[in-house]
Amino acid sequence: MSLRYLAGKKEGEKVLLMGNEAIAWGAIEAGVAVAAAYPGTPSSEILDSLAEVAKDYGIYAEWSVNEKVALEVALAASYCKLRSMTSMKHVGLNVAHDTFMTAAHIGARGGFVVVSCDDPNAWSSQNEQDNRYIAMQAYVPVFEPYTPDEAKKMMVYAFQYSEDYGQPVMLRSTTRVSHAVSEVEIGSVLRLEREPVWEKRPDLLVYDSAGARRNRVEMVKRFERIAKEIDKVPFNRLDLADGAKKGIVASGLAYGYVKEALNLLNLDGEVSLLKLGTTYPIPKGLVKRLLENVEEVLIVEELEPITETLIKAYSVDLGFRTRFHGKDWIPLIGELTTKPVTQAIAKFIGVESPIDYDELSKLSETAAHLPPTRPPVLCPGCPHRASFFSLKKVSTRVANNPKLFGLEQVFGVSTTPIYPGDIGCYGLAYLPPFRTSDLSICMGGGIGFANGLAHLVKSPIFVSIGDSTFFHAGIPALVNAVHHKARMVVIILDNDVTAMTGEQPTPGSAVDAMGQPAPRVMLEDLARGCGVSYVQVVDPSDFKRSQEVLEEAVKVDGPAVVIFRRPCELVRTREQRRQGVLPKPYTVDQSKCTKCMVCINSFGCPAIYKQDKVIQIDPTLCTGCGDCAQICPLKAIVRV
Amino acid sequence: MIGLQTPVERFDIVIAGVGGQGTILASRIIGRAAVIAGLKVRGSELLGMSQRGGAVYSHVRFGTRVEAPIIPEGAAHMLLTFEPAEGLRYLHYLSRNSLILVNTKPIIPQTVSSGLSRYPDLQHILQHYRSFTATIALDATQLAIQAGNPITTNSVMLGAMVGTGRFPLSTEVMLQAIEETVRKSLHEVNRKAFFLGFEKAKQLMNEAQAAAGV
Repeated sequence: MSLRYLAGKKEGEKVLLMGNEAIAWGAIEAGVAVAAAYPGTPSSEILDSLAEVAKDYGIYAEWSVNEKVALEVALAASYCKLRSMTSMKHVGLNVAHDTFMTAAHIGARGGFVVVSCDDPNAWSSQNEQDNRYIAMQAYVPVFEPYTPDEAKKMMVYAFQYSEDYGQPVMLRSTTRVSHAVSEVEIGSVLRLEREPVWEKRPDLLVYDSAGARRNRVEMVKRFERIAKEIDKVPFNRLDLADGAKKGIVASGLAYGYVKEALNLLNLDGEVSLLKLGTTYPIPKGLVKRLLENVEEVLIVEELEPITETLIKAYSVDLGFRTRFHGKDWIPLIGELTTKPVTQAIAKFIGVESPIDYDELSKLSETAAHLPPTRPPVLCPGCPHRASFFSLKKVSTRVANNPKLFGLEQVFGVSTTPIYPGDIGCYGLAYLPPFRTSDLSICMGGGIGFANGLAHLVKSPIFVSIGDSTFFHAGIPALVNAVHHKARMVVIILDNDVTAMTGEQPTPGSAVDAMGQPAPRVMLEDLARGCGVSYVQVVDPSDFKRSQEVLEEAVKVDGPAVVIFRRPCELVRTREQRRQGVLPKPYTVDQSKCTKCMVCINSFGCPAIYKQDKVIQIDPTLCTGCGDCAQICPLKAIVRV
Repeated sequence: MIGLQTPVERFDIVIAGVGGQGTILASRIIGRAAVIAGLKVRGSELLGMSQRGGAVYSHVRFGTRVEAPIIPEGAAHMLLTFEPAEGLRYLHYLSRNSLILVNTKPIIPQTVSSGLSRYPDLQHILQHYRSFTATIALDATQLAIQAGNPITTNSVMLGAMVGTGRFPLSTEVMLQAIEETVRKSLHEVNRKAFFLGFEKAKQLMNEAQAAAGV
């Protein structure tokens, strides 16, 4: 999909868009001038799709080095009175938190929207967190869409709103909005064509403590106005049912599930329903009207009880005796679906669910356990596979007999290697056959963790980190390792892109987000600049050299850096196909194959499989990288 | 189990498969067709980590009453499974009135080659589907190869879905959606694939009805 094809669409026309595309298009309709982001599931397609068409609309778009810098880029634009946005996954806002808090104190001069894409159920994340808490901490109002169409409308509205109230706004999406599809009504594109205005305002931007106190006073004042007037926002709606003594509050995405459940239970129009599109602050006027009309309320929201807490507190302030249900009946953990919502509403109203969920689980559970486990794997031809193959070989050799390497003083007679990993495709090395990624806690966390381990254990430490992750958060940890002589081999897996999220460019790439040529920041220069004495760059397909380098690196007293450099296979093969070059697959010469299983049990390329007791290569999956031909001890893997 | 609503109000399809098989493209095509037909569309996909050869699924729904991105459990009208075993993971979205469409071409994962996991027997798989609800099984990959390109497997499956006679949108709308989605040079081969799937499913439905003595 591409937003390019929307250029010819008429106002009012409906098109199918993914949530993230709809968010990007909403920003374009609103006249956004600057967009900066760091990729992360489920947020990446927002800037992907926006950057592709940015030039057509006079927008500056960039993939920043990390979320903090992205937020600062957007803040600068907003300060200069342009409309700006930043988008990130939930944990990205942890990285940008420092700037986010102060940005809220400074306020928005041009409409400023921070899109936070939370990941309930942690489909593609290291944790589950509800970023509405972060917004509350910063006095930032939260808009929560329930469909891509509403997400687009909210983006358009949020830019104007942010400008009107002088405060940054958070659009909180979740996986099931960002990666959902719906029909989206196309509106007209606002061409603001503003010139950026720089003003020297130390009272706003310089932090002496008097300024901080003053800005906080102003921020709270802005928020009080927002809280007072939030009822006017069109995304909140109260449907009072005649004579109903029970009411439901549904925020954001939960509204969709509540509507489905009411439909299944034949309760449409039987209960009062408050739809919340703004979850912080809550629209007190609508909430009050609901509480005046019903005796019992069920609050349905995903993850934390944010609106539940706010509404309960408000009810106490009003002196009401409303009875509430919320997280006692609605799951706190994971994402919602129609089932738990239907069950909760059935219990709340006192009706039977028409679907016998127990029978359904009984019927479906046995079948669900039949398919083979299919964990995500490194792609066929992935350069990381070659890197990890060599790493596993060398690390095992060293740990089994440190004396062979003259390292018995350091690691003892024999030991176990430790493999701190990080966030990216290479984190999949925690699985067989490699098991060379023992942890992936947060961006850059691998080198940081190793900084601690190095002073505690007598094991060789091999940290793996991707190029993009190293740029993002690895550098300070490496500097720390140099200064404190923390002994570790840092393996930077340089595939030239942020691969896992969709092959976005990194500061090491030769192009930027908008496809323009860009200066490459070289990882080896950075590592040397950090003070690392041993830095080597190797192509992981050169197995001999790769293993020699790792053996040298492990002897260094302090941090050593090995950069495995080969482009992401997805990018390489796509480029080749574009030029009309098809992959030349490999095959197994059955007369030579002894079924030693090295290719399957130690290398594990998904194109290689065993069926009917024969090792075979799937020609539709093989990319022709040739790595398996090198590692086959019998040279039984050959070109077709 | 719940009786289904009329399709104009809500039509829900679960698509199952393995990352890289084109399940997302197939659900987008259905979504586009529904938008062309002037209907409200909802759907959900799993992207990111799960794309890398793992088990994937997407939901696509349309009609006047669809609201949520995920299909209500126990209420889907159809399951299209692009890989025979994968659909077994999602039977809890179906009812006894659903229809299952199975591509019988297995994709053997690494975990099976290395002995960590077992791939069930195809007949055993189909038995499970059939004991749950009506099931149509076809080698869509083979039909795609017959059409001229294995990447058209998803068009075979979409054609088969329409060919069952249980899908409420027209052939014309589906073909228009396919042509709006795939490259022009692939229109002809996809059209061919669509009709191979269509005819195969139509024939299988007729046989099933004859066998049931309808």
